[in-house]
Amino acid sequence: MDRNIQKEFEEKLIRTIGQGFSLRWETDSKGVVTGWCRLDDHSQITNVALIVSGLGGRVITITAYKTKDVHQRDVHEIAYHFDLDGCTCTVTIEIPRNSGKVNSITPILKSADWTERELQELYGIKVVGHPNPKRLFLDETIDEGIMNKLIPLSVAMNGATSKTLWEKVFAATSKEVDTK
Amino acid sequence: MSTYTIPVGPLHVALEEPMYFRVQVEGETVVGLDITAGYVHRGMESLVMQRNIYQNITLTERLCSLCSNNHPCTYCMALEKIAGIEVPERAQYLRVIADEIKRIASNLFNAGILAHIIGFDSLFMHVMEIREIVQDTKETIYGNRMDLAVNCIGGVRYDLSDEKIKYIRKQIDRLKKPLEEIIDIYMNNKFVRARTEGVGVLPKEEAVRYGVVGPVARGSGIDYDVRVKSPYAAYDKIKVNVHVENGSDVRARAIVRLREIQEAVNIIELCLKELPDGPTCIDHLPEIPAGEAIAKSEAPRGELIYYLRTNGSDKPERLKWRVPTYMNWEALNVMMPGNKVADIPLIITSIDPCISCTER
Repeated sequence: MDRNIQKEFEEKLIRTIGQGFSLRWETDSKGVVTGWCRLDDHSQITNVALIVSGLGGRVITITAYKTKDVHQRDVHEIAYHFDLDGCTCTVTIEIPRNSGKVNSITPILKSADWTERELQELYGIKVVGHPNPKRLFLDETIDEGIMNKLIPLSVAMNGATSKTLWEKVFAATSKEVDTK
Repeated sequence: MSTYTIPVGPLHVALEEPMYFRVQVEGETVVGLDITAGYVHRGMESLVMQRNIYQNITLTERLCSLCSNNHPCTYCMALEKIAGIEVPERAQYLRVIADEIKRIASNLFNAGILAHIIGFDSLFMHVMEIREIVQDTKETIYGNRMDLAVNCIGGVRYDLSDEKIKYIRKQIDRLKKPLEEIIDIYMNNKFVRARTEGVGVLPKEEAVRYGVVGPVARGSGIDYDVRVKSPYAAYDKIKVNVHVENGSDVRARAIVRLREIQEAVNIIELCLKELPDGPTCIDHLPEIPAGEAIAKSEAPRGELIYYLRTNGSDKPERLKWRVPTYMNWEALNVMMPGNKVADIPLIITSIDPCISCTER
């Protein structure tokens, strides 16, 4: 008999967190099932990771993004994309505005390792309890949370395409003249 | 015995792409590994949020050259899901043909590099020569050797006339015999076996734990292929035989890739045979409403996923993608220890790394 992994996931979710979530399954024209789940309490994500691990699933990736909450305030959300034997289940949580912290699931699911490190440096979200929390891609000299800002191209290119560069050159030349 | 830490990279470890490894060795044996990434980080996930959804088809194709077709294809699939667009059947087959042609070229490239690293340069030349058949096919059909530019929202931008179908069939036929010859060499030549067998072992339970994907997973006995597990394009109509090896070593991963080339040849032949008539694309420029979607495909290196959030404007609110190589790097921590320093480039090549993909 075919295993109904979606049902198993749902049952375990109810047993562990009760009513504090919403969940729906979508089936596309090819018969591929995709799950969309939202947790009321962000700290329950570790319990979800335990369920996924128990079902033999893995983390495909994790997406952090900036969005608006019900009061139109900027807020970070994290979408965890889990693989349950070919079915992708996305579990979304909202990061508390005051702490900006979330528990790491890497100790439970090793497959979350790099992607948690990446979202930490890109969005400045603190992942608590990550076994190897050092920078993944960005150099230490670059501020954390770089994806939260808009950096104009001219700044990113250090003035190479604007008059900023020439202002620097002229400033340096005039200094040389002054010292002579 | 003394313990040393030696730097490997960031340049020319296996390919001309930068990745830095600090390798701890005892004598000639690797005991530990530390990976430093970020040398070609371009901030593309930020860039896609500043361009419109149509421009991003062009941009995502430029993430990587070897799996360039999978990126815009999977991105378009995510857009189509949000907008509820049904792709014409002929276009679904044409997407599969383009994907599988790219898979053959990509896997042959990796097989060639493997031969080069173990010092078997005549085999390297031979494999690259066979790959030229595929490169010529791409150039003739799509006008380009790497970036095919075939995908658009709701279909594809190319069609195959009877003459072109005949040409692809002829080219595919030319591949068959040389493929058998080189697979025999990779499997049975005693020098190739001596360098690849029992090297860089990733046991199945570790492969599961690290969540590795693609030929790296299938070389460790994991029967997982997106084309079968969650079919897309025309893969629900075409039977894909998933090749799994249990050796868990460099050899097993190479054999999986080579067998997948043969399977790709079969898939293309089947697609050409069953290619339905009809349009190749929807007939209007669609509007993309607010929503979110997941799209997955099996790139040459394994599972590729796109997650897209839209807000009704012409720019994505967030576009995140995870490339197969991303999952496979950490597993080097299992593959490397216990092997000789001379095998480091070989083991790295065996995950078929794509760094420009990983770092975006």
